[in-house]
Amino acid sequence: MRISIENFTKAFGTTTVIKDMSLEINSGEMLALLGPSGCGKSTTLFAICGIHRMNSGRLLFGERDVTRISSQQRNVGVVFQNYALYPHMNVFDNIAFPLKVRRDTRADIERKVKDIADLVHIGELLHRKPAELSGGQQQRVALARALVREPDILLLDEPLANLDAKLRLEMRSEIRRIQQQTGITAVLVTHDQVEAMSMCDRIAIMDQGKIMQLSSPKEMYEDPSSDFVAGFLGNPPIAFLEGVAAEGGMRLANSEVTLPVPAAINLPDHGAAVRFGIRPEFFQPDNDLKIKGRISFVETQGREELYDVTLENGSVLRSIQSQGGSFKLGDNVNWGIAGDRILAFDAAGNRL
Amino acid sequence: MQRSSWLGLAFLSPALIVVLLFFMVPVVLTGFFAFTNMSTATGVKGGEYVLNASGLRALADAGLPAKTLDQIEGAGYRVDARGLEALAADFGQPIADEFGKLHTGEVFAKRRDVERALKGLRSNPIRKTRDRKAAAELFKRSMMNERFPTLPAFEAALEEAKIPEADRPLITKVAYTGWVWTAENFGFLFSLESTWQYAKNTGIYVVFTLSFNVLFGLFLAIATFYLPAGQASTFRAIWFLPRILPPVLYIVMWRWFTWDTGFISTVLSGFGVAPKNWMLDTEFHAWTTIVLINGFVGASMGMIVFSSAIRAIPSSMLYASEVDGANRLQQIWHIILPQLRWPILFITSYQTMSLLTSFEYIYLATDGGPGGATEVWALAAFHTALNNYGGNLQYGLGATYALLLVVIGLLASLAYLRLFNFRNLLIKPRIEG
Ligand SMILES: Nc1ncnc2c1ncn2[C@@H]1O[C@H](COP(=O)(O)OP(=O)(O)O)[C@@H](O)[C@H]1O
Ligand SMILES: [Mg+2]
Repeated sequence: MRISIENFTKAFGTTTVIKDMSLEINSGEMLALLGPSGCGKSTTLFAICGIHRMNSGRLLFGERDVTRISSQQRNVGVVFQNYALYPHMNVFDNIAFPLKVRRDTRADIERKVKDIADLVHIGELLHRKPAELSGGQQQRVALARALVREPDILLLDEPLANLDAKLRLEMRSEIRRIQQQTGITAVLVTHDQVEAMSMCDRIAIMDQGKIMQLSSPKEMYEDPSSDFVAGFLGNPPIAFLEGVAAEGGMRLANSEVTLPVPAAINLPDHGAAVRFGIRPEFFQPDNDLKIKGRISFVETQGREELYDVTLENGSVLRSIQSQGGSFKLGDNVNWGIAGDRILAFDAAGNRL
Repeated sequence: MQRSSWLGLAFLSPALIVVLLFFMVPVVLTGFFAFTNMSTATGVKGGEYVLNASGLRALADAGLPAKTLDQIEGAGYRVDARGLEALAADFGQPIADEFGKLHTGEVFAKRRDVERALKGLRSNPIRKTRDRKAAAELFKRSMMNERFPTLPAFEAALEEAKIPEADRPLITKVAYTGWVWTAENFGFLFSLESTWQYAKNTGIYVVFTLSFNVLFGLFLAIATFYLPAGQASTFRAIWFLPRILPPVLYIVMWRWFTWDTGFISTVLSGFGVAPKNWMLDTEFHAWTTIVLINGFVGASMGMIVFSSAIRAIPSSMLYASEVDGANRLQQIWHIILPQLRWPILFITSYQTMSLLTSFEYIYLATDGGPGGATEVWALAAFHTALNNYGGNLQYGLGATYALLLVVIGLLASLAYLRLFNFRNLLIKPRIEG
């Protein structure tokens, strides 16, 4: 089911959290709402499921306007950040609850709960209380409860935030599997870019109640529309070089070095401030656009090694290289930038 | 013992002192009084020995032989020092001396015999018949209406009156005016029809007031939960007012409210209803008033406890139930009420205890009326022991009522404690020791 959010505004008292947001989510797709904590992701999610009323704007599920419809009638499944399982009911009753309140027959309820429990692999836990489950199991129960009445839409609010790293990896693919198996339209709220990129068809990246960019993970990584987006995606993160537009390229701040600019980039008038964004994988010893610096930080990440290189003007570039380089802290190096992969931004942070 | 244990004891000691002083001592005293027949008549100190008309009747009822009764009533005429003294005072020392010399220690069965003896005095005969009669009377020795301060004195008197040994214990018991140890209070109490009435009244009082308290408290808590914060706290504050009102003032208001010239009567007189006392005119009205009086005070406590328990429910759980499709009633029934289980149990048990033992509002409002219809057990204990219409305060019997109430209260506490502990058994300790 397609979800259309049109000119959505939400305020709590006098503080406006979301202002005039529009967003289209295609039927059957899984969309990530990605952004830093407090940017309004949960607020948006709660508006979609009807827990929060919109101050203005419209919400459509398919062709149906649900703006004024109560959350009970929206047929949306939600997995809450803390799972919000009912502590006094066992797993079976938790999952059965949505069916029970709409008065399905006993036989129907049993069959559906069994089916969904098998889908999320918790068939043997049905008689436990939530307090007797691990985080990952609770999470699966919450997912089962959200899915059991075959909702039109599945909303997930930071579903993996409370899990340990290994479980998170496992549940990532698990949730994606279930979403694809059921073909449900899903919205995943997360502040973790890896999660968003690995699980979702598209990402809507948010900042301070606005959507900064909406595109596929690959496109967003390679072609960010602003320095905020570029900075938010990628781990280790992108490094920025400050400078001004000059003859033949960008002259670095506090430096005589001028970096040439790829032909595709239109620099502003000379003297205007510009920023270059350089991802760690594009700052390597063998690249052609050489720049001098000294290694100021080394971090071994197992398969790879991460270096911080402090340039002569004090800026820092990051480089990630596969294991085996013989560089040490304090080494003076002359590595190169992949000139065609430089991302340039104007003073306001917009992509040039 | 470890140092921390001593510290624990030190922290406990104020509580122990308070428990000892204000719980154990009254309970022990109540238990002590409950096994006596103390009353205003017996006093709380030891008593004297007196046989009076009603005592004699009691002895007759108890099957004492008529002969013994006669002996008590008319023990005969004995010439003793006391009689001689009286004779000397009324008729002169010489007569007394002579009569004493001739007859001291003698016992005459009939007055006529004494008169004859008086007539027969050589030197100082009493001549007038009327005087002789009066003089003879001075030697009459009956056990009736004579006060004996100690048991030996009374026993000596019985001996003198030649009362058969077998009858003495019963007579002594009847004659004793002080309190005695007895276990009869319990049997007596249960033989009284009014006792069962008190028990029934207490049941009505506790069940209805408790239901009202808990249900109305729940209703208020849930209703205000769904209201905007400002309105909710206003409503809660209003319902809390009766609790902080001084009880006497609160009841005075209720009395005025239901008085035959009070609020209800005044308003209804506008509709042609004859004024009357709406509180005391029927049992039903009395009970309604009592339940409302206690209920409005009691509900506020439930309201506060339930409100805070509802607030402790994570809001995401309530959100979850809404997106799961539960309407308000289903949300209340399936999510809120189950989470209020322990607060409800707590309020129920706590208020059962306080309702069982509290009677101050009933005392102030109906004082057990009309006609004992709202006389609950605790009020009965109070009336019997401390505030009797007849003026004979039966401390012993009242204490028996109170003791039974303490026992019932303890049993109920134990039952509730078991319920609470049962919960602890179900839930493993949060911090493993
Ligand atoms: N019920 C509320 N009342 C007032 N402010 C709120 C409420 N819920 C969220 N906010 C504010 O709205 C902003 C966005 O919150 P939220 O959507 O929860 O952020 P996140 O993106 O981390 O999920 C935050 O600044 C938060 O303080
Ligand atoms: Mg959030």
